[in-house]
Amino acid sequence: MIPRFALARPASLAEAFDAWDATDGDASWYAGGTEILQVMKMGLARFGTMIDLKRIPELRGISLAAGDGALVIGGSVTHREIEVSQDVARELPGLVALEAHVANIRVRNQGTLGGNLCFAEPHSDPATFLLACDARVRLQGRGGTRDVAIDQFITGPLETAREADELLTAVIIPPARSGEGRAYEKAKFRERPAVSVAIRLRVQGGAIAEAYVSVGSLTDIPVLVPDVAAAFVGAQADAAAGTFGEALAQARARLGHLDAIGDLDGSPDFKRHLAGVVLGRAAIAALSEAAARA
Amino acid sequence: MPETIDITLSVNGLAHELAVQANVTIADLLRLELGLTGAKISCDMQVCGACTVLVDGLAVSGCTYLAVDADGREVATVEGLATDGVLNPLQQAFIDHAAFQCGYCTPGMLMSATALLAENPRPSRAEVIAGIDGNICRCTGYLPIIDAVLQAAEAGAQR
Repeated sequence: MIPRFALARPASLAEAFDAWDATDGDASWYAGGTEILQVMKMGLARFGTMIDLKRIPELRGISLAAGDGALVIGGSVTHREIEVSQDVARELPGLVALEAHVANIRVRNQGTLGGNLCFAEPHSDPATFLLACDARVRLQGRGGTRDVAIDQFITGPLETAREADELLTAVIIPPARSGEGRAYEKAKFRERPAVSVAIRLRVQGGAIAEAYVSVGSLTDIPVLVPDVAAAFVGAQADAAAGTFGEALAQARARLGHLDAIGDLDGSPDFKRHLAGVVLGRAAIAALSEAAARA
Repeated sequence: MPETIDITLSVNGLAHELAVQANVTIADLLRLELGLTGAKISCDMQVCGACTVLVDGLAVSGCTYLAVDADGREVATVEGLATDGVLNPLQQAFIDHAAFQCGYCTPGMLMSATALLAENPRPSRAEVIAGIDGNICRCTGYLPIIDAVLQAAEAGAQR
């Protein structure tokens, strides 16, 4: 059973902070509740007050930033809303593909991207992809608003740079540049990914000019692996080309040195191998998007 | 001790005004307060799908969805599928295909399939498989369930 709590249902950000201030700090925000209610039910957390964020219009909606056209996803937008968003399908198709396979349809209907990131579960899909995409989160508190890059935001397993009284109001993802492709692939045996890999490539003149690779579920937080990414730079932007095959083999070999954590999904060796397999799929998917954006 | 919260919600078309504790889940409200025991609590962690109910047409895990979050909304459960004791085409298709043995997952399967067919009345086999991906059945091996959902779709079953 979920421990008892008082409920606040603010209708605006201002009311939300008022609701927080009305508590003695023994409070938590919640939106979908798919993570926080679960840990409360398991007896791992309890709060005197839960503050529901679902009625706050400022946290809703998906839009493109007026200046650079960055994709801006409100803090209480659900996984399912992202999965069916035409804007996201056009700007960042890899995120739609990712969201379509987060947990199950019920979790996607209920759970939010913002909540997922704030919970910082090491076996989570979006953080790994957003890391490779150079995304940032917008945090707002009484003291003001700050943007924090994903790699600065997630500080440990289930730990983030967000202060307890701050709200994640939006996730901001830079627009794709010309010749850029971004893709995410995972292997999973249960609800959460066993291993996940994301890649962002930029193709110029038929070759890979720039590459970023991140891995998730292998280490205690998602991490960028620059040496793995560097293996792709200079290779032909063609999955059938010899130089691409060599780059992928080199990248996989470098993944093999990652200090991975064994868990219920497999031993470190097995997970490193799986990561190499899905890295290949992700790289090919990213090449295909890069070609479309050439 | 936190006070109760007054909520109004519709369950299978019937309006209810209730005073609930904030920590009560919709599955417990349905089962313990309203006597609707179709939604089962099995894994209690949003994995198995036995507690699936629809809120405003969207499938949710009743075990981890607060009753207060259904305030002002329409809840649909397996008890609402039949009309005057006559099974709806989806339910009938489950019988035609022997799409259950123990029956424990069946209410959740039916509600997930109901949501799927409402959104996508003519799903492909792959879409049916994706639609019930989060509902676990330990008896049937899923094939009869998939066949039943496809039959219901073919019959233009969905309301």
